[in-house]
Amino acid sequence: MCPPEHFGVLYEINPWMHREVLVDADRAREQWANLKATLEQAGAEIEVLEAAPDQPDIVFTANAGIVNGRQFVPSRFMHPEREGEVPFDVAWFEQHGFTVDRLPDHVHHEGAGDALPFGNVLLSGYRFRSDAASHAYLSRLTGAAVRSVELADERLYHLDLTFCPLDGRRAIVAPDGWDRYGRRVVEALVPELLVLDGDDALAFCANSVVVGSNVIMPSCPPTVGRQLEAWGFDVAVCDVSEFLKAGGACRCLTLALDVTLGPQGAR
Amino acid sequence: MATEVVEVEGHIIDSLILAKVLDAILDAGAEYRIVDVEIGRASTDTSRARIEVQGPEDVLATLITELQLHGANRVEDADARLEQSELDGVLPEGFYSTTNLATQVRLAGHWTDVENPEMDCAIVVRDDGPARTAPMHRVRAGDKVVVGLDGVRVQPMERPRGANPFEFMASEVSSEKPKELLVGEVAERIRLAKDAGRKVLAVCGPAVIHTGAGPDLARLVRGGWVDVLFAGNGFATHDIESNVLGTSLGVLLKEGRPVEHGHFNHLRVINEVRRRGSIAAAVEDGYIPGGVMYECVQRDVPFVLGGSVRDDGPLPDVYSDVVEAADAMRAFVPGVRVALMLASTLHAIATGNLLPAGVETFVVDINQAVVTKLADRGSHQALGIVTDAGLFLAILADQLCN
Repeated sequence: MCPPEHFGVLYEINPWMHREVLVDADRAREQWANLKATLEQAGAEIEVLEAAPDQPDIVFTANAGIVNGRQFVPSRFMHPEREGEVPFDVAWFEQHGFTVDRLPDHVHHEGAGDALPFGNVLLSGYRFRSDAASHAYLSRLTGAAVRSVELADERLYHLDLTFCPLDGRRAIVAPDGWDRYGRRVVEALVPELLVLDGDDALAFCANSVVVGSNVIMPSCPPTVGRQLEAWGFDVAVCDVSEFLKAGGACRCLTLALDVTLGPQGAR
Repeated sequence: MATEVVEVEGHIIDSLILAKVLDAILDAGAEYRIVDVEIGRASTDTSRARIEVQGPEDVLATLITELQLHGANRVEDADARLEQSELDGVLPEGFYSTTNLATQVRLAGHWTDVENPEMDCAIVVRDDGPARTAPMHRVRAGDKVVVGLDGVRVQPMERPRGANPFEFMASEVSSEKPKELLVGEVAERIRLAKDAGRKVLAVCGPAVIHTGAGPDLARLVRGGWVDVLFAGNGFATHDIESNVLGTSLGVLLKEGRPVEHGHFNHLRVINEVRRRGSIAAAVEDGYIPGGVMYECVQRDVPFVLGGSVRDDGPLPDVYSDVVEAADAMRAFVPGVRVALMLASTLHAIATGNLLPAGVETFVVDINQAVVTKLADRGSHQALGIVTDAGLFLAILADQLCN
């Protein structure tokens, strides 16, 4: 994770961002600290990247890149506004003993925000921030079977706003965010789906962090909560309203470091 | 109409990306042809597809942009890659292998036609003439041969327009359709070909003679309806036997019964033609009084008799070297518009392999399996007719010669 020392809405690169909406810096820090504590209580170990000045969105570490064992594939951002984050992300991973493998410069991919593992497959979105053309390179670099899903709603502009793997069989999904081929791909992939309706999807319920059997969510409508509990999950809700101003919620603020992709299965 | 080639790679099958791309092409009103597909074997292998997209220029521009969204990239038009052959009769590794479709190669930035489309050949580029297809054995050391897939494109077959037997038939093989009507359609195609100054090729198996259709085929040759004949030792032998001795494989054709020692007959006939040195010589000196081969000699209709390992004799005109036989057949292929495959499997397949797509091929055999096998040869226009070749030829000769 990366603390919101320099967080703010300084530009508009998604439909949620409006520069005239000010971020309350204190509240942002409180919400971030609360998220971190909730994750730690659920059993996660948090490593911290120092916030860089002039990189307001670096808090959204999900977009730093793809982690695969000790391999890190840094993102190639669609918008130049976020490109400045890359050297900081790369430096951190190099310092922590990861090998850095890069995608070619003619393709865009925005990291774990747009690509999440489920079983042996790395499901990867495209259209708004990542290119379909990046998927073959990603597959080659990581050895993972990448399945492409076209995102269909500009407001759900990253895959992690529409897809949350819960365990080996289940996921929270917002199919309205995909085209019909994408829906078929996910239906074929995930045996048990928790489908969010339009409003819940736009509340970023799918942008949740799963730590063991704990699901940490930006909000949780009763029906969703009941289903999760029936499946044996414990739900915690963390208010991240300051971050919603930039179009990100719980999951966007984290990057899982203990992920291994590829034929041996995602963990 | 414009053409673009795009390539898409990745887990395109499981992602439904390939399906999406193909659907998008069709939805835009364009057409596609899959040039090449490599499907990864393990679930971790990626797949790759190269797709040729055809459509009106304005449609294509927007479509290609949309396809790029799904990861399909335009394959930059490149010149054909050439490599010199190092040995006579041996192609460079990775040589481009042709289809029977009209083919073009891109040289120095320009697309030019390959002269003689033929399947399963290489493309040889010459400095002093158009590119040509060449079978393996015809390539010489130093010849510039096209390798890889770049810079080569084929012209898919146009769907036949207007009424013609290919539309007339709902299926390609017709054991249950009215024969007289079918033969009438064939006759019409032959007339149209002749009117257009094109050639009619007949490929004949010995059953044509055994079934008593020799005289009808001879009538067709005499009437100018056959321009080239391909056959084997058996057909020519029994045609000659039936005219000299009245039998075919020792069976009296007029009575349908075998004669005593009839099995000597074809050997005697072959022997006498060999004595004279050629079928033409045997016609000139009167030994052969009539029949298909007779009419071919009299009307200067070229014939190629290809040998096989089971031949008796063979007749002196038969090419015992099958590679030479195929080359001899090749020489007569240009200009052929209609091909009739009559009760032949071996020579029909050999001929089918030499013909460019677009030759209207009629396959006539009593055996449905043979007809299906020959008619089902890919994109070129073939009509199968399951019937006795004898009856077919009788009706055809009546339609064309009367």
